[in-house]
Amino acid sequence: MLAYLIKRLGLALAVICTVVLVLFSLLYLIPGDPATIALGPRATPEAIARYAERMHLDEPIWRQFLIYIGNAFTGDLGVDIFSERPVTAIILDRLGFTLALVCAAMGWAMLIGIPLGCLSAVMPNTAVDRITGVLSVSTIAIPSFLVSIWALLIFAVELRWLPAIGAGEPGETLDQLSHLVLPAFAVGLSWVGYLARMVRASMLEVMGETYIRSARAFGLRPRKVVFGYALRVAILPTITLIGMGFGGLISSTVFAEIIFARPGIGKLIFDSVMARNFPVVQGGVIVATTLYILVVLISDILIAWFDPRVRESL
Amino acid sequence: MKKHGTTRRGFLASTAAIGAAGVFSGLPMPVFAQSGNVLRLRIDGDNDTLDPGFMTGGTEIEAQKQCLPFLAQYTRQGGGFAWEPTYFVNRLEQRDQLHIDFELAEGLVWSNGYGPVRASDVKFSYERMKDTDWSGYFEAMERIDVTGDRTGTIVLNKPFAPFIMITLCHGPGAVLCEQAVNDAGGRFTTSFPAVCGPYIYEATPGQRAVFTANPEWTGPAPDFERVECNVISEVRAAELAYEAGELDCTEVSADALARYGVDMPDNTAITVAGELQYMWMGMNTEHPKLQDIRVRRAIQHAVDVDSILLGAYSGTTSKSAGIICPGLIGHRESTDAYSYDPAAARALLEEAGVAGLELTLRTLNNQERLLAAQIIQANLGEIGVSVTVLPMDSGPFWDMGQESKGDTWQELELWLMRFGTTPDPYEATSWFVSEQVGVWNWERWTSEEYDRLYEAGIAETDPAARAVIYRRMQEVMDETGAYVWINHEPEAFVHTTNVAVNAAPSGELNYRRFGVT
Repeated sequence: MLAYLIKRLGLALAVICTVVLVLFSLLYLIPGDPATIALGPRATPEAIARYAERMHLDEPIWRQFLIYIGNAFTGDLGVDIFSERPVTAIILDRLGFTLALVCAAMGWAMLIGIPLGCLSAVMPNTAVDRITGVLSVSTIAIPSFLVSIWALLIFAVELRWLPAIGAGEPGETLDQLSHLVLPAFAVGLSWVGYLARMVRASMLEVMGETYIRSARAFGLRPRKVVFGYALRVAILPTITLIGMGFGGLISSTVFAEIIFARPGIGKLIFDSVMARNFPVVQGGVIVATTLYILVVLISDILIAWFDPRVRESL
Repeated sequence: MKKHGTTRRGFLASTAAIGAAGVFSGLPMPVFAQSGNVLRLRIDGDNDTLDPGFMTGGTEIEAQKQCLPFLAQYTRQGGGFAWEPTYFVNRLEQRDQLHIDFELAEGLVWSNGYGPVRASDVKFSYERMKDTDWSGYFEAMERIDVTGDRTGTIVLNKPFAPFIMITLCHGPGAVLCEQAVNDAGGRFTTSFPAVCGPYIYEATPGQRAVFTANPEWTGPAPDFERVECNVISEVRAAELAYEAGELDCTEVSADALARYGVDMPDNTAITVAGELQYMWMGMNTEHPKLQDIRVRRAIQHAVDVDSILLGAYSGTTSKSAGIICPGLIGHRESTDAYSYDPAAARALLEEAGVAGLELTLRTLNNQERLLAAQIIQANLGEIGVSVTVLPMDSGPFWDMGQESKGDTWQELELWLMRFGTTPDPYEATSWFVSEQVGVWNWERWTSEEYDRLYEAGIAETDPAARAVIYRRMQEVMDETGAYVWINHEPEAFVHTTNVAVNAAPSGELNYRRFGVT
């Protein structure tokens, strides 16, 4: 297990370094002066000179990269070119909101999707299975931005049951939770379908195994067979899917963050791209990528933890 | 023997518990909701630079207006705009063409213990602007003479009629506390080093900016004790938030303006701040395909502007006849230079011996402009001109006519352009003088008469004489054949009927002057 862990950690570190290298190189691959590109057309000569000095642009490129990567690993991702706030602080301000949204979205999707998948698997080719299948495919097919708009129109504008915008009043837990409901619903809906289909397929495969037949032959209760034996094995590919989905959602929540005017890392990157605030874009992408890699790493480790065959194969 | 250690089930349970704790740990304990009179508004982004010298503008100016002294403010006068002294001055008057005297009101105090507001603060604030990103607004200012603790004179280096209107009423006219700015290192970004106004400012980046009552303020109290400005980047999201009852006032798009015109939500009203935007289709007079003025005139006659106003803007904008916007000195209701007349357009093309003309129309990639471009494409198709519409992102779009940004200016043929302006005609005319060719005069014509009139318009103080000058300047532009004037988009706000909106003509809201009705 330890060897597996070291290998996966090393691989994750290499991917993160590659991402940092690519992002750093972008500034030099775009034609023109890096300081002007970073600061945009509004920049004054004084601002360009200050930026060049701060970013060590007068140093050789290889040295600039070493300084950048060294700073990045110590948590210094530069400063916002407009507000001059540290990029790390700006990202940390937003990260909690994105993580809360992703956890809530994936959480309710798991709560609904996994039982739905089990239900379909234990009642294959019945009306319940077909209805579940249609619902699952439907939720997968509807884009999350469309769900966001409809949810907002129905529950916030028409019914006024839930708030439409923002992340809630700082300091008011219930208010913050109520502001999480609609975005989490919108972001998580398609994952209900994904998880239900994945669990159903895995469960059907496992339910045909001989040890399940033996368990039934021993007279174990169906609930024990399904949840105690079948689901424990069938859940493994689902964990991989959840890990990848969780990582992907960190950056793909941008639609919900824009439509519901929630602060978050996706919206931060989007706004920074529009404002040509390159240090924040760089920092945001590095953090989002690192989180993605970390979550995938954790899901891989969990798989290896659950299934000895995986760690032995490496 | 009982087995100790981590089981898979235990691990899953612990992970779930830690995950849940992680989600909710950042959420502090409940507090009581705020009480009092709250105004809920929208801002389109964080205020990154509140320093008037280095700001972007927009909502940063809105923040300055609540927290810093200004010597003058906009007021409506009939159908136009004028200026009036603010609460912060007892006297503000133009003594002659080069001198503006002011006297600050008594009892104005900076926050954070920085003492009274002095004339030397005005001198510091305005003279430092000459070395900032907004120095253009102070180009006509020579210096400020301080004549007493609260009195001084703004000395201009040339007659400049719109100085009070466009500089003192606008964001660059904010007065800063000299000592506080020096203590902050000479400039500031996301917080004011000292304020003097009815509100103090606090922002949570990415979420909101909040203005609460300034305890040291002794002037007239605003109608709202607290103003919450929610960061909502998309105007349509803000419209939905208004409809959900979460905002009291927000800017609206042309779509929504048309929709509200037909079906206004309950307890809702629309306020139009001004129409200080002018949009046109430009033609490159130096391009080989468009060098012949008869071809340009044919294009002018071929475009059905009324269809664009209805099709792309749902009839919510006013038809343009030049660069001087409604309410400003020199505004024209119509132009005699051309009208929609496809037959005349075909005749002009025939006279010029042009057939099978193919042109490219560049536009910003947004809904209204694309619709407008498609209507123009259809109009020009009717006279045998084939148009390719080229939608562009804002970066390359704003660079394409500038010689310093590449060679695209040589390929420019047609484009849809919109500029915003200040409540004085001088600014709009400044972009088309000869020295702006290759900068913002992408049509690339020059006129000695136009340049001469531009200088005359700045120096002239008589409104009637200025109106004649600015009308003539637009006629000169018409004579180039390089423009199809399209519209003036309004800065429109939807709001609840119990709120009286106060906005600058260019759309910046002034929360302290909002009222409760």
